[in-house]
Amino acid sequence: MSIEVKSFDTLRQASEVLGGSAQYIAGGTLLMRKVNYGDQSFNQLVQSTDPALKQIQSQGDEILIGAGVTMSEIMQHPQLQFLGEVARSVGGPAIRNMATIGGNLFAPRPYGDMATALLALDANLHWASGQQQSLEQFLERSDAARDIVHSISVRQPPTGAFQYLKVSRVKPKGVSLLTVAVLLNRENGRTGNVRIAFGGMAPEPRRAMAAEQALQGASLDESGIQRCLAACTEGMAPADDSLASSWYRNEVAPVYLKRLLLQRS
Amino acid sequence: MSRVEFRKDLFADERSDDLNEVGKPTIRQDIIGHVRGTTRFYDDHLFDGLLHMRCVRSPHHHARIRNINVSGAESMPGVRRIVMPSDVPNNLNTLLSLIGFGRDDEPLLSSAKVAYKGEPVCAVIADTERQARDAVAAIKVDWEVLPHVLDVEQAIQPDAPVVNETYPNNLFDYGRFDHQKLRFGDVHSAMQRADKIVEGQYQMSPIEQAPMETCGAIAAPETNERIVCHTATQALFFSLGTTAKLLDVPSSRLHFIGGTVGGGFGGKVDSITEPMAVLGALLTGKPVKFHWDREEEMQVGAPRGAERWVIRDGVMNDGSIIAREFTGYFDCGAYTRLSSYAIQKGVGHLPGPYTIPNVAANVYCVYTNRTPATAMRGFGITGVDFAIESHMDKVAEAVGMNPIELRIHNAYRDGDMKAHRRVAKNTALIECCQVAAQKSNWQLGPQYASASSLRDGGSTERAAIPETAVDMVGKIGERRSSSIAASPAQGTERVPAGQASELLSPLPLQHADMQIEPSRVGHTVKATAPLANAAGAPPPAATAHRETTQPPATQVSTPVSQQSPVSPPESLPASSTGSYQQPPRDQPAASPPEAPAVKPYEPQERFNKGMNRPGAARHLINRRRR
Ligand SMILES: Cc1cc2nc3c(=O)[nH]c(=O)nc-3n(C[C@H](O)[C@H](O)[C@H](O)COP(=O)(O)OP(=O)(O)OC[C@H]3O[C@@H](n4cnc5c(N)ncnc54)[C@H](O)[C@@H]3O)c2cc1C
Repeated sequence: MSIEVKSFDTLRQASEVLGGSAQYIAGGTLLMRKVNYGDQSFNQLVQSTDPALKQIQSQGDEILIGAGVTMSEIMQHPQLQFLGEVARSVGGPAIRNMATIGGNLFAPRPYGDMATALLALDANLHWASGQQQSLEQFLERSDAARDIVHSISVRQPPTGAFQYLKVSRVKPKGVSLLTVAVLLNRENGRTGNVRIAFGGMAPEPRRAMAAEQALQGASLDESGIQRCLAACTEGMAPADDSLASSWYRNEVAPVYLKRLLLQRS
Repeated sequence: MSRVEFRKDLFADERSDDLNEVGKPTIRQDIIGHVRGTTRFYDDHLFDGLLHMRCVRSPHHHARIRNINVSGAESMPGVRRIVMPSDVPNNLNTLLSLIGFGRDDEPLLSSAKVAYKGEPVCAVIADTERQARDAVAAIKVDWEVLPHVLDVEQAIQPDAPVVNETYPNNLFDYGRFDHQKLRFGDVHSAMQRADKIVEGQYQMSPIEQAPMETCGAIAAPETNERIVCHTATQALFFSLGTTAKLLDVPSSRLHFIGGTVGGGFGGKVDSITEPMAVLGALLTGKPVKFHWDREEEMQVGAPRGAERWVIRDGVMNDGSIIAREFTGYFDCGAYTRLSSYAIQKGVGHLPGPYTIPNVAANVYCVYTNRTPATAMRGFGITGVDFAIESHMDKVAEAVGMNPIELRIHNAYRDGDMKAHRRVAKNTALIECCQVAAQKSNWQLGPQYASASSLRDGGSTERAAIPETAVDMVGKIGERRSSSIAASPAQGTERVPAGQASELLSPLPLQHADMQIEPSRVGHTVKATAPLANAAGAPPPAATAHRETTQPPATQVSTPVSQQSPVSPPESLPASSTGSYQQPPRDQPAASPPEAPAVKPYEPQERFNKGMNRPGAARHLINRRRR
């Protein structure tokens, strides 16, 4: 079986030939490995030169990021400073030059660091078909119909409101043992709207809803966050894998969340 | 350039410092090419029309092969040849048959059954790697899945599935026994005298050597019916001999080129890719590459095997360890490779660098349905050393002693008798402990700070082979029919003091020029040194493959002092057995760490190793060592 590569001017054309034995390829950091290892489930690669894939645009306080924007491009863009740290935590320089923000939404664990951050930021997906969907909805439904993500929109967080921590065993660029991302607005010294997302604690990036609720209105100190920490692994399903046991992940998740929450105050 | 600190002051009078390479920082001979990217690794040798070979592998830990259907694959584009087990002329081997150790137990391609996940059953040779992969995916194997065993202690139960038919007890044979025995003194009676018994169990996981360059070889026909083979092997003549044996071709027809290894660490000894590539070249008449991808390297590349050690010490309140008992299990995986031999190295090392008057060990080389295990750096020693040193800390906690002082207290010293009946020399553990304590600002009491490995060893008591209790428990096959405790049994017979075993007589020299001249060993030897006169004495070693089991006393007729290669010739004064000159007794240690500690050591927390929490492996250590 040889591999056939098809290229299309627009994403919409590309999305129409997907399915069956055709796979959409973006940066290829995950897909090319499958090609090299003789994956038998596909024999066509579909790519697109649609300029929309590379756009970065502000619309009010929302920023629209093309799905083909790479981690390196995010790090260099002045309006995406709040995602710079996240992008830098993905792989090494060679990976970051190829890895796209769109591909990261489909990366299986232990990958998906950018997706975890975007979940905490309540990002929205724009599909080639014209449909829109919140990232949260997309992650909840693994049976989502296959289409191509065209771009991702995300609201710029207030300064200091977004916190991100990736825990890995190999420094400085190992894969994630777990990842925590927090969006936390403050009102009069107390916490207002909160979103907490974990990567590596479930098959897909997942919100810690019980912890978010427990943090609502709490004071950001050791005793104020106690209930939030106690609830943060509720609904999580961490894996037993070669990086860590699920027991270990459940034990250390509150520890890292605590560091993240207290480091800001 | 180097951050290595050479402490040449410590044994300054033992050797002259006039060597050109030893003891000096040096540049690796091949590093320039590696850094500049000009090194040619085996895979950089280009051949026109190179074919690619890939294996069909077992997805099961243990399964019988009912049928292999290659009909679809044979006619696929680019496929040149399907290689079946019947294509291997001599399809059963054991790596160490080249040195006459162990029985042939492993096929290159398995025809009847597989005993580990990833075991190869046939191979495809095709024009491109992708075509080979596609054809491999199209080959259908009809498996009859068998019950498997993955745990060493379960594998030696009477009802465990048989992993390897060549060793139907799931245990390698050591002489008459199903384990390697070591007996020195009488552990059981010493334990009764001890103030405390300290027991611990230690588990090591398999460790993959993970070289940057995965294992592989390219073979191509040359003129005169020779085959050239470029290989990543770290054991070129081993690989050549193994290939010649498996493929039944004279080694003169094999032209092996190696010497450039992209990381080995023990993982490139096993000689599997070379016979495969050469077989491919023989069958097709074309250049063939057989190369593991990263997944294969991790799945079927033989790791350092897992080890489990149970250690039981009899300890006196002053910290003296008077008895130490080992029960060890090497997880050998499904086939022998090198674990059997690693055990002998490991047992020779027991009880670690300490002088303990009573030692017993039962060590098992266990077959399980795991990837076969092989060599890795520190062959046979690393796992048990981890167990021993962890256990020393545990003993220190039990008797409330500073762990470094406990080590110095029990350390072996020059002239002491080791449990495998060799006299210890160049010991230096005490000095290592002192330097380590100094570097980490760890206080030592005055008697420990001034101790020396050159003094107080080799006294009549410490140099003697004690009367030894022996037992005959664990003969080959016994464990299949009845449940026998794995730990060393109580002795039923006794070998008198001073006697080694019947088997310690040295083999005669094959040739006179094999006699090692003391002047060439690298130490300064005084012209009048008695060792030079001892040139006619038996050579060392040559006993490595013999069991160290003690026979009943009646069978031993010759006292060891006339027989053992390690005991000094009788004309020598005891103090000059080593190749160095002992300093006068009252000379202080070369560089004692300063400031004697006044307060005796007390642990801040109770020692707590291993944990018992749901979801956690029992043997994970729950805190970092200091
Ligand atoms: C050495 C190495 C280190 C890595 N380290 C990290 C890390 O630290 N953190 C991390 O999160 N990830 C890591 N990754 C994983 C991966 O590089 C990233 O997740 C990357 O963002 C994937 O994007 P890509 O463009 O390369 O995806 P591709 O490989 O091109 O595609 C991956 C999958 O996503 C689908 N896909 C891609 N784009 C779209 C789209 N727009 N719409 C629909 N489907 C799409 C493809 O069809 C394919 O199934 C690492 C990978 C490697 C090889």
